[in-house]
Amino acid sequence: MQFAKDSFLMALQQRLAALNPSRVVTVNGATVPAILVVENLPPSSAEPQPNTFYVEWGEAGVIEGHAGNNAIMSLECAISYYTLGTVQSMVDRGRVLGELDEELLGMCQPPNTEKRDYTQSPSADLGTSVFWGQPLLGESKKSAVTDNVERYQDARVERKAQLTIYFFSEVILQ
Amino acid sequence: MSTTPLRAAMVPFTRQMRAYFAPVNRETETPTIFDPGLSGAFPLASPPSPWVDLGWVEGLERFYDTPTDVVQSGSKLLPAVQFRGPLEARVEFDFREWGKLQMALAGGSEHMNVLAPAGNVTTGPSGGVPLPGVAVLPGSTASELVLGTGALNAFPAGTLVAVDVDYQQQTGYVGSGISAAYVTSPTAVNQDLNYVRRVTFNVGRVAETTTTSLLLVQPLLGGAPASGASVQAVIAFVDREGGAFFQEWSALFVAEQESGGRICFYYPRLSPNPGAASKSTSTKSATGKSAITSGTAANTLRAFLREEWMLLVKPLSSVSLRAAFLALPYIDPNDGQTVLCYRSYFPAPMAAVY
Repeated sequence: MQFAKDSFLMALQQRLAALNPSRVVTVNGATVPAILVVENLPPSSAEPQPNTFYVEWGEAGVIEGHAGNNAIMSLECAISYYTLGTVQSMVDRGRVLGELDEELLGMCQPPNTEKRDYTQSPSADLGTSVFWGQPLLGESKKSAVTDNVERYQDARVERKAQLTIYFFSEVILQ
Repeated sequence: MSTTPLRAAMVPFTRQMRAYFAPVNRETETPTIFDPGLSGAFPLASPPSPWVDLGWVEGLERFYDTPTDVVQSGSKLLPAVQFRGPLEARVEFDFREWGKLQMALAGGSEHMNVLAPAGNVTTGPSGGVPLPGVAVLPGSTASELVLGTGALNAFPAGTLVAVDVDYQQQTGYVGSGISAAYVTSPTAVNQDLNYVRRVTFNVGRVAETTTTSLLLVQPLLGGAPASGASVQAVIAFVDREGGAFFQEWSALFVAEQESGGRICFYYPRLSPNPGAASKSTSTKSATGKSAITSGTAANTLRAFLREEWMLLVKPLSSVSLRAAFLALPYIDPNDGQTVLCYRSYFPAPMAAVY
């Protein structure tokens, strides 16, 4: 499963770097494309940074009846991000959120990537792909005023997108 | 349970089927060849020339209608040998996108460009008397039509245009680059100077104009305009129930690889055949419909609906074009065998072979 998670993240990182090279974030002194996996960050990490995509993995399971011993698996994925806009008045935060939405949709195309073993260098092709459904651009919390975004006291607007990735398990089921 | 992957899974998953068509030379019945070795792994958004991307298709069904018979021998009539009966195969699907070529293939017969009318002089369901054509000058290409100064005003950006030669009273196939109709006699088409442009596949949309030429959004399907060609504005496209002409195209269907392996179905020659029922079994690629798996089910005569309506949310629906084709034979030059269709598979890199 880790191969699938790594492959998905690497694909999205590379695609984000191509889509918007300036969308970067600094983590432990290193500048990387602004898409991070929460479980890969130290627990003591600071508050999430704006204009950065945070990936969280959710429920996983085997899908029966599709692939024999090589089980096809599903894994839920949530990608959260927020922005405060780019100007002091924050009046462009909706537009920036729209840019982030477009970048997420762009990163997810095409909706598949090779599954590779990144525990070795160079990485090894594992012979199948990781593929996924189109992301659902949902909201994290409802607001009585705004329909799709949540207003915090700092007036941030945020999004929580969800999708499911699929891949063949490395475990041979009997 | 083992944690050592002996081989990668070899189960193809796909999201949708993509359709590409290319012309058949009707004079010689020569199809466009899809060579898997040369061009099988092409990016789906940029097929190799002359294949034209007609978008995603839904509900692809490939019917195998060739009977296999058995010769029996001996007093117990034991099966001795098998042989194949008359070759027949069909394919059906829905075009999700509408366009000149999609309509022509779904309709199956002559496909009409409704030329911009000269006025309310005569009326016709596929167009009346049109505005006269404007001569296309030398130096034109499939993407740029040189008209000279003064003639451009009739074709502002956004205009649909048809580009082809005047009808010169010839008989036989007409249409530059791609046969668009078959004329049996000049009187059958009223000796209409504009007839070829009424049916031609050389249509495009004006993206912008220069001081002397029209720049097209997409290149003309038939290539650079023929000598003596003219251009006329097009208002709409029309297909008809009826007509004597049969379209004939080479077709390629690609199941985009989600899990690594790509599947292609190549039909050297497909001719529209709506309404005819399959005699045998089918395979189905699309989601959302149950596959027909037995001859009994497939033998049930089904009504052929020209369009499919896919509900988005009431009252909105998308409309797709239902298309059905009969596969025509092609002689494989490698062994002289007569074939109707090729199925090719491109395993993922590093995937197991068997």
